[in-house]
Amino acid sequence: MIVPMKKAELFALKQDRDALLLALQRVGEFMIIPTEEDAQPTGQEDAQQALQQAENTLGFVSQFQEKRSFFAQRPELDLQSFLKEDPEALELEQEAKKIAEQLAAVRSERSTLAAQMEQLTPWLPLDIPLDRLTPTRYASFHTGSISAGAVDPVKQAVEEQGADLTLLAPGPEGLAALLTCLREEEHAVLEAAKAAGFVENTPPRVKGLAKDAYEAYQQQYREAQKLEEQLVAQAEELAGRKEKLELLYEQRKAQADRQAVSAWETAATFRLVGWVRSDRTEAVKKAVAEVTDACALSFTDPTEEDTPPTVTKNNWFVSQFETITDMFSRPTTREGIDPNPVMAPWYWLIFGLMMGDAGYGLVMAIAIFAFKKIKKPKGEFAKLINVLWYSSITTMFCGVLFGSYFGETWHPLLFSPLDAPVPMLIFSIIIGTLHIFSGMILKVVHDIKAGHFWDAMFDQVSWMVLITGLGLLFLPATAAVGKWMAIIGALVILCTAGRGNKGFGKVTGGFLGLYNITGYMSDILSYSRILALSLATGVIGMVMNLLAGMVQGSVIGFVFSLLIYLVGHVFNIAMGLLSAYVHDSRLQYIEFFSKCYEGGGYAFQPLSIDPKYIDVVTHRQSK
Amino acid sequence: MTLGTVIAICGAAICATLAGIGSAYGVRIGGQAAAGVVSENPGLFGKLLVLQALPGTQGIYGFLTAVIIIVRMGLLGGNPIALTTAQGWALFGAAMPIGIVGLFSAIYQGQTAAASIHMTAKQPDSSAKGITMTAMVETYAILALLVSILLVFGIQL
Repeated sequence: MIVPMKKAELFALKQDRDALLLALQRVGEFMIIPTEEDAQPTGQEDAQQALQQAENTLGFVSQFQEKRSFFAQRPELDLQSFLKEDPEALELEQEAKKIAEQLAAVRSERSTLAAQMEQLTPWLPLDIPLDRLTPTRYASFHTGSISAGAVDPVKQAVEEQGADLTLLAPGPEGLAALLTCLREEEHAVLEAAKAAGFVENTPPRVKGLAKDAYEAYQQQYREAQKLEEQLVAQAEELAGRKEKLELLYEQRKAQADRQAVSAWETAATFRLVGWVRSDRTEAVKKAVAEVTDACALSFTDPTEEDTPPTVTKNNWFVSQFETITDMFSRPTTREGIDPNPVMAPWYWLIFGLMMGDAGYGLVMAIAIFAFKKIKKPKGEFAKLINVLWYSSITTMFCGVLFGSYFGETWHPLLFSPLDAPVPMLIFSIIIGTLHIFSGMILKVVHDIKAGHFWDAMFDQVSWMVLITGLGLLFLPATAAVGKWMAIIGALVILCTAGRGNKGFGKVTGGFLGLYNITGYMSDILSYSRILALSLATGVIGMVMNLLAGMVQGSVIGFVFSLLIYLVGHVFNIAMGLLSAYVHDSRLQYIEFFSKCYEGGGYAFQPLSIDPKYIDVVTHRQSK
Repeated sequence: MTLGTVIAICGAAICATLAGIGSAYGVRIGGQAAAGVVSENPGLFGKLLVLQALPGTQGIYGFLTAVIIIVRMGLLGGNPIALTTAQGWALFGAAMPIGIVGLFSAIYQGQTAAASIHMTAKQPDSSAKGITMTAMVETYAILALLVSILLVFGIQL
């Protein structure tokens, strides 16, 4: 059922603005509609900046966090302590910021030192201070590097000129070398050396021996490393108190959400417009009244031009399946159809048919129950988990029906799809026809309520008569009835499908309408995937049992077979779950919804406290 | 071993091989796209893994058909049925739909999965739509699987 919406309008004094917004956020039932005349919200940038800062701090600290255990639970807080500011968190934030800055500085220093050390490495064997390589009265010095293959030619060329070449250590550009020659021969020697492959370059400018400078760098590097270790230890200690920072983040997030609200303003007052569920207006009134009585709050029904957000209200079972519909598209008040009550039981049943194994159903029930207890999933994800959990019941039921227990066939109540694929195919197609019919009936009921009785007769009922008739043709006992039903249905469609057209279009429209039979046939045949998927689960389970049975000769073989059972069946359950989820959804989206539902609504997102890292227990929930 | 048995074995082997190649290729395409997205946004890993796994089912269908053929021939029990050449060719033909359709549909499904992965990267909320679009391709592999299975069960041995 779609919950009707009310449009709320709140006039109040600006001095009460923060308190009112906080009250509305706490109650979480007011979705603000921004309008064009709104004034720019003030203080939004500061709040955003503070939020950004908290996010950065969290990001920095979580690098140093130990891996969270799978069993870790989200901390819970009541509203009072959630709203209380924690001075320790602010200190932690400052501390984290300082550590982050120091850590960045020390890391960049360390990499600079490493680069400098690397540059010095080729010159380490040189026993002349690097700043003393200036020409003397008779001799001149040239430093450079020689690539690996050119060492011998250069050495030969230099020695032919009567100069000296001292080979040093290898570096990134080649072997470093010192060329010593007489000043008057300098030009000729260099020419010859360069021709043979000597590339002149200067060593890093340091005072004294390369070796001494290198050792100094090394010392600094070790110190930097030690400092870094200390800082990391500090950061790890901070990460242990990460919960406080998470709370700070959530508080600033709530603050920023409030600050982002824009409202139409005068000098002393402001106006807020928003959507409220029609059954929750009292809660909003109460929340506002608790803050101030100097305000005016009114609720009106939406007009034709409004497009209110969609909230659906269904019982505990159906409401979990809403997430499947919402992933397709939300219902709209304009269309007025909530497909969930009809869709949910079908999704439930078809999921079970596709998995179809009593043992797997039992494993699903236990595993998902444990997962729910340990991880406490929230929101849409929790609904999806519940859908899978509920489906474990139909999986067990269908498993008993088809006699499938962990891939072994044992006394099926109906028949086993593996031994009787054709009856199973017919069964799947009958399920599909009923599924499609239920969608068409939903549409019929909706059309009749809206006063379009004849449209429902011509567009839905005629098809149902035709398809039922075609189905009855296959049974000898009902073939005669089926023939007449099919003819009547087809005639009605032929005569009425073109009723919206003009002139000759009425005739062609009828034939085109009848041509839709191909669409209905392919929709119904699409349900044969139920057979395919139930066979897939069954056969893979059987193969795993076969494989395990083949190795069960000895003690080692027996242990090994247990491993095959475990891995094989877990794999089969996982693939089966994926396939069943995907193809069951598809049957709803393509085959079922095309008969009755369009959607196009958007979600109701009230101003609320919506924390990521912690759970806030509000008064409403604790009741 | 009769010629019919050899031909049927070839059919089972070919259908598992072709469908397996297709799935490996399809999952690879999806995996490459997903790895690229996860490098930017690690939080999407779970959603993308589902999309990447979708083209993997054809390989399972091919494997499944091969196993059913092997079981029907009695190869695992130790006393295989002596198939005539005609029966061998019939089983060979029955294995082809899922082998060939599996090969191509898995590759195309992988490409659709990659496109859906890119869509999910831009709009993480629409991953269910991407899954549905990707699953549309698989319909034809399922139809081929059905034909193969019905044929394998239908052949008189």
